[in-house]
Order: sequence, then structure tokens, then C-alpha cells
Amino acid sequence: MRLAIPHQQRLPLAIAALGFLFLGLFLLYPLFNVFSASVLDGEGEKFTFANYVKILGRPFYRGAVVNTLAIGLAATITTILVAVPLAFALARLPVPGKAAIIALAAMPLVLPSFVSAYAIVLLLGRAGVVTQWLQSWGIGFGSIYGAGGIVLVYTLTLYPYVLLPTMAAFKAVDVSVEEAAQSLGSSPRRTLWTVTLPIVIPAILAGGLLVFIETLENFGVPFVLAEDMPIFAVEAFKLFVGETAPNPSSAGVLGVLLIAMTSLVLLIQRRFLASRRFATGARAAPPILRVGLGLRVAASVYCWLVVLLALVPFFAIVVLSFMEFRGPVLHPNFSLANFAALFERSMRPLLNTLLFATLAAIGVTLVGVPIAYVVTRLRSGLASLLDVVATLPFAVAGTVLAIGFVVSFNSGWLILTGGPLIMVLVYTVRKVPFAVRSSSAILHQIDPSLEEASISLGRSPLQTFGRILVPLMLGGILSGFVLTWVTIASELSATVVLYSGQWRTLTVVMFQALEGGGGGIATAAASTLIIVTLVPITLLYRLVRRYELAT
Amino acid sequence: MTGIVIAGATRTFGTVRAVDGVDLAVGDGEFFTLLGPSGCGKTTLLRMIAGFCELDAGEIKFGDRRIDRLPAHTRDIGMVFQNYAVFPNLTVAGNVAYGLKARRVSGAELARRVEEALGLVQLAGYGERWPHQLSGGQLQRVAIARALVIRPQVLLFDEPLSNLDARLRVSMRSEIRDLQKSLGITAIYVTHDQEEAMSVSDRIALMQSGRLEQVGPPAEIYRNPTSRFAAEFMGTTNLVEARALGGDRAGLVSLRPEALRLAADAPADWPQVGGKVAHVEVLGPITRFDVRLADGSLLKVATLDAPHLTPAPGAEVTLAYDPARITVLP
Repeated sequence: MRLAIPHQQRLPLAIAALGFLFLGLFLLYPLFNVFSASVLDGEGEKFTFANYVKILGRPFYRGAVVNTLAIGLAATITTILVAVPLAFALARLPVPGKAAIIALAAMPLVLPSFVSAYAIVLLLGRAGVVTQWLQSWGIGFGSIYGAGGIVLVYTLTLYPYVLLPTMAAFKAVDVSVEEAAQSLGSSPRRTLWTVTLPIVIPAILAGGLLVFIETLENFGVPFVLAEDMPIFAVEAFKLFVGETAPNPSSAGVLGVLLIAMTSLVLLIQRRFLASRRFATGARAAPPILRVGLGLRVAASVYCWLVVLLALVPFFAIVVLSFMEFRGPVLHPNFSLANFAALFERSMRPLLNTLLFATLAAIGVTLVGVPIAYVVTRLRSGLASLLDVVATLPFAVAGTVLAIGFVVSFNSGWLILTGGPLIMVLVYTVRKVPFAVRSSSAILHQIDPSLEEASISLGRSPLQTFGRILVPLMLGGILSGFVLTWVTIASELSATVVLYSGQWRTLTVVMFQALEGGGGGIATAAASTLIIVTLVPITLLYRLVRRYELAT
Repeated sequence: MTGIVIAGATRTFGTVRAVDGVDLAVGDGEFFTLLGPSGCGKTTLLRMIAGFCELDAGEIKFGDRRIDRLPAHTRDIGMVFQNYAVFPNLTVAGNVAYGLKARRVSGAELARRVEEALGLVQLAGYGERWPHQLSGGQLQRVAIARALVIRPQVLLFDEPLSNLDARLRVSMRSEIRDLQKSLGITAIYVTHDQEEAMSVSDRIALMQSGRLEQVGPPAEIYRNPTSRFAAEFMGTTNLVEARALGGDRAGLVSLRPEALRLAADAPADWPQVGGKVAHVEVLGPITRFDVRLADGSLLKVATLDAPHLTPAPGAEVTLAYDPARITVLP
């Protein structure tokens, strides 16, 4: 009998089937339920577009759309304006301490942005430390609340998304292209504008789009800073929590609209950026430019200023967490009372955070690495489809996915609400795209003939995966694991929808303390979160360094 | 060991017939080469035998046993890859032991066979080294040892020497042939290098556009090409109208450059043709020169270096050729 499925495709196909099953149940099904909630009436029975008419008919929600898009666009522009000169300086100018700057610049990616927002409030808010100090000198400044503050925090926390790819692109520019321009009579300045920058523009835009999507989905930063300004992700949450009818139709509408916006941005990226990659295939990084002392000093000051300024809020939170709070009011005395207050009732939030992050990071690895294997090794429409589905969570705000989970799994054959598993599953699904991306990047580096060699020597494809691919990918899998772990530990947007009773995490404690005005506990939770984030990152960094030295 | 029989092997990629109804019988212990330009289907055919490429139609047998539906890892094949494919996460010994462990060989037997295989490829004592400490030539030796040590039914070589430098290529190819002959394992070797193919093979299958162009011992294909493609791909040749050489029939003939000589240096009964020297290259042992005939066509001539006979560009010369070495092409 002739077998329909070729032998070498059985393993990828089996993995693909499992991948579709998992993502179908825990991604597509909840999203479908969000969609159907948005087109059904309050009882969940009749099909209707009335929800859309109702929501979009209210100036408040139309305002939310405009605010969210305007803030996202503004933050994208400021981020690019900050990050591109930084990227150029780090790639091409003589700046002292580059390795340190790059390491510091990557840190906002793993630190929770709402902590930064909260620190800004504590420093520059109405009762902020800096505000009061300036007021004692008679100096006042505009409000930090609202759009300005949100854009500031986004810029400080999201600029690495533009910096890292742009820096890589500047380094990948083949210097002979610049030399060709100059030999044709172009001045160095003109060469920069007419040759170098156009080559890196796709990288800048790709990073900018990531920033834009992050701002659309972000819940914590506007929650802390927006006050009464309506922002999409926050309003979806408020509607969902406040909705009393059996069918959360209004939250569903906001969820669908939010997904539509992010998907549109992603589609634009796929359409216009995929075909605009100006790879110049440089064999070596272009040389550091020789510039005058003035520019050198200016570039160095600028680089250090940006990376340090972005970290000041986090540093400030740690310092403030050791000071005395009376209600929301800060007193400049050293005190451990905040941590005592945080931990005296229960260690559970901390333990929950550690537990969930560990379980979900394991889940992400177990789902993401095999999917990446299928996506890179199986050349077929099925693999592309799996790639698209596995990327989809990136376009779904945590709040929306969490709402979908609650709607899907609060009754019927699979009940997850109220337990810890629902949180672990949502975290896993949310981070799958990152695991697939990073694992695919590693797998593209591994020559498929290594697998063929192993198979021809008598190991089955499954054994080959375990004995050759996994060991070769181990370093990448481990760093992916740590990064996933860290970002899950500070997840807020899905957590606030899903937590219940004893399954509160550190981010929930902070969220509740913010709502209740308990500044002391909030800072203690925030600085515990920062420590929880930085310890594994530091360990990973040292491990990678040692590994690099060994080989 | 085993002979290989391929019958009607076909594979289509999109609209391209990569392998198009290939029939082939490779003898037990034979060193058989698939030769052809890139895209001719030789690598696809090799990967069909290895099990990395499905057949759309046809069958492949090792001896009497049909293998084209077996999973690749059960076919008992030793394969040597173009880019070596040495596992970077294993030592040299770990690489060589890999296939043995898959066959549940262990302990002293494992160690003995690994050391023996490393000795065969002149890497005795290299077992504890890591792949990144080895040169390209050494890596390819590891890959060969790894393929030999499992005593496979069939050895497959996928352009194994193309990543090595020219000098190493020449010495490695005779080493590979000697090893194959001493072990008596049937081998199929893929290359696009005509000289390499002629040096190692018992027989060659010349391929073009997924089909076999000509199959035979190297000397036979070189001396009696059955097509214009075979004549041109196997070394340099002159494709000329028979009439330009003074023949009386129409049609193309192939005349190798070394079958031509200056008339002064040739036997008296060889036919002669006159022309003007257009270009001379003294390459050391061999001198090549081009002669333009009266009808405008160009004849390439190759002679051993002979200082007193080397013509000058522009000189009128009379050439003579060996009539026995004229190949009439269809």
C-alpha cells in the first residue's frame, strides 16, 4: 500500500496537528466567542449589530478610538526620534561604554511599563516628590496625567523596539555602498541622508510598528496615567467588569475593534515591509566614523542620557519603596513597613507570580519550539497557516484574550475560570509568538543536512529532534525561556481580568493598591517585581557570557 | 554487499520534472557517479535513494529488497554531505559513534569500531577533538568515517569535495575511491566536476534535465559521446561541420583538441586542414592554441609542451587529425 504521507513529513505534520488543536482551543475559540458576544444581544440569543451602533454612537467611545490611535502614533514618532540617533551613534560613532549602554538599553523591554508609569506619578504627579520640591522653589509645570505623560512613558519604555533593529540595520549596511556614493562625489553628510538612512528605513518602520501595536494593547500605562481620558484597552476592561447582562456584548465590541486595529497594523507591516528589505549583505560591520570632539561628546552624553533616563523611574521606585508612606503621601524616612505590609498578610502573591511564570514559560517553550520546527522545516501552505495562527496572539490585547477565555471557559465541558490554570494558559498563548519567532531564528541557522545526516545514520526524525536539534538550540531556548518568564511575571492586562481569590499575583496586588491609594504596598510590590525580573536576566547574562568565553 | 536497481524513478517539483523516468542498475561494489550540470536532477536522484525525497513514480531496490517506501532512517545508508554535516555538539568520536549507538552497539565494541574508522580516514587519535577545532578536510574525513563505521549497504556522496580547495580535492578523491574499493561497499557519488567523476568512477551516468544522457565507463563516454551534450560536458571538444574538415557528409562531428596536431608532428596518413593561429596559451605541460579555418570556424588544439613546435599567433599552420577519433554526432 502506498502511504499518503511521506515519511519525512510525518513528524512535522503531527506537530502541526497538535499545534492547531492547542491554538484552536485556546486562541481561536475564545476569540470567536469575543466576536460572537459582540454580535449578540444582552441575553446572548439574537444576532444584532445594535451593540456596534450603540458603542460607536457614543462620543465617549469614539473618543477612546481617537485617543488610543493618536497617543499610539505620537509615541511611535517620539520613539523613532529618540531611538534612531541613538542607534546610529551606537553603530557608527565612537561612544565609550557601548556594551554597557546596549545592555542597559535592552532592560526596559523586560521591566514592566506600568511600574515606570507609576514611578512617573510618584515623581511628577500632583503630590509627586519632584513636583513638591519644585513647588517649594516656586516652579510649576504642566500636568503629567493624560496624553503627554502616557507618550513620555511609552517613549522611555518602548524605544528599544526601534533601537535594536535599527542598530542591527546600521551595522549591516555594506560600507562599500557608502564608499561608492562618496567616490561619486557625495559628501559624508549627504551619503548618510541619501544612502545609509534609506537602507535602514525598513528596520526603523518595523520597530515603529511594534511600538504602535504595543501602545494599542497596553493596559497598565493608561490605567495609571489616563485618569478620565478614555483609552481603549482600559475601557474594554471597565466595560467587561461592569457588565451585568449574561452576554458581555459591549466589551466584545471594544475587543473586536481593538483586534481589528492591531491586525490592520500588522497587515500593513506584512504587505509593505516584507518586500522592502534592503539586505546589503555586509561581510563585516562598517567602521566607526572619525568625528570631531564636539560630536563625540554630544553623542556620548546623548546615549548615556537616554538609557539612564529610561531606567530612572525603576530606580526611583526601588528607592521609594524603602520610604514611609502615610496613605498615598510620602515621607522621606527609611522604612521597611511597605514590604512588611506587602508580605504580612500572605506570601501567596509572590509565590503565585513565580509559579505562574515558571509554568507558563515551560508551556510556551513546549508549544513554541515544536511549532517553530514545523514552520521552518515544512514547506507548505499548512506551515504558513500555522505561522499566521501562532503569530495572531501578538495582535490580540491581553485584556481581550482574557475576556475571551472567561466567556469560553466559565461553563460547559471545560471550566477554567476561578482557578490558576486559566492564567497559565492565557500567558502561554500570549507569549507563543515570541517563542516561535526566536526559535525559528535559531532553526534557520541550523543546516537541515545535520538532521538528514542523523536520520541516514539510523535515528528517526523524533530521535533526531531530541538528540541533534534540541542540544543545538539549547542556548537559544534557555534565553527565550528566561525572557518569557520575566515578561509573564510582570503581565498585567490579562491578569486583572482573570485573577480570583487566592490566585492574585504581584501585579494584581500593585493594581489593587493603586486603585485603593495604598502607595506603600504598590511601591513594595513594584520593587519586588523589578528584583524578580532582574535576577534571572542577570543570571542569564552571566551564563551567556561564560558560554561565549568558553567557545 | 548490494547492487541498486532504479526503475522509472520520477519526481516533479511544480512544473519541473527534476527526475524523469530514470532506469539504472548499479552493480555490487561498484563506484557509480551521477554527473551533470546544476539542476540536472543528480542530487534529487541521490536524495531519493537516501529517502529524503519521495518518488512520484517508479521504484528503487537494494538487491531484491524494495526500499523506496521505507523511512530514511531504516534504509541502512551511509551518506556524506557537501557541507560535511558534522554534528557541532558532539566530539569527533561522538560523531562517529552516533550511528553505532542508533544500532545499539556499545562498550568495547563501540570504542574499537570508532577508533578503527578514524584510523581508516587517518584521524586516529582525533576522537576527543571538537568539530570547530578541525579543518575542512578533516571535517570531511570525520563525515566519511561516520558513514563508513556503520558498514552500510550503500554509500552516498553528495558533492563531498566541492567545499575543499583544489589540491585537497585531488588527494581526497583518490582516498575516497581506495577506501570504497577496499571495503567493497556500493557507492553512488554525485558531482558536477567532470574530471573528478572520471578519476573516481567505475561508471558514470551523465544527466541532463532529469534524464540519463549517457551511461558507461568514464573513458567510453569521453571517447564515444553519443550526443552533443555529452561531447561538450565531458571535457573540451571541437564541434565542427564534417565538411569543414574535408569530409563529404553533412552533420556535426566532435574532435577532441588532443586529437589534432601540427602536420609536421603527425603521422603522414592523417587528414590535414589549414588555418591561421588566432590565440596561444602555454599552460606548462600543455600548450593550447586556436586555429581559424578558411570557413571561419575555430579549432581548439592541445599538444604537450614542445618549444620548437609552438606556433606564434597569426602564423599560417597546417593541422593534421587522427581520423579514428572523429565522433559523428546525431
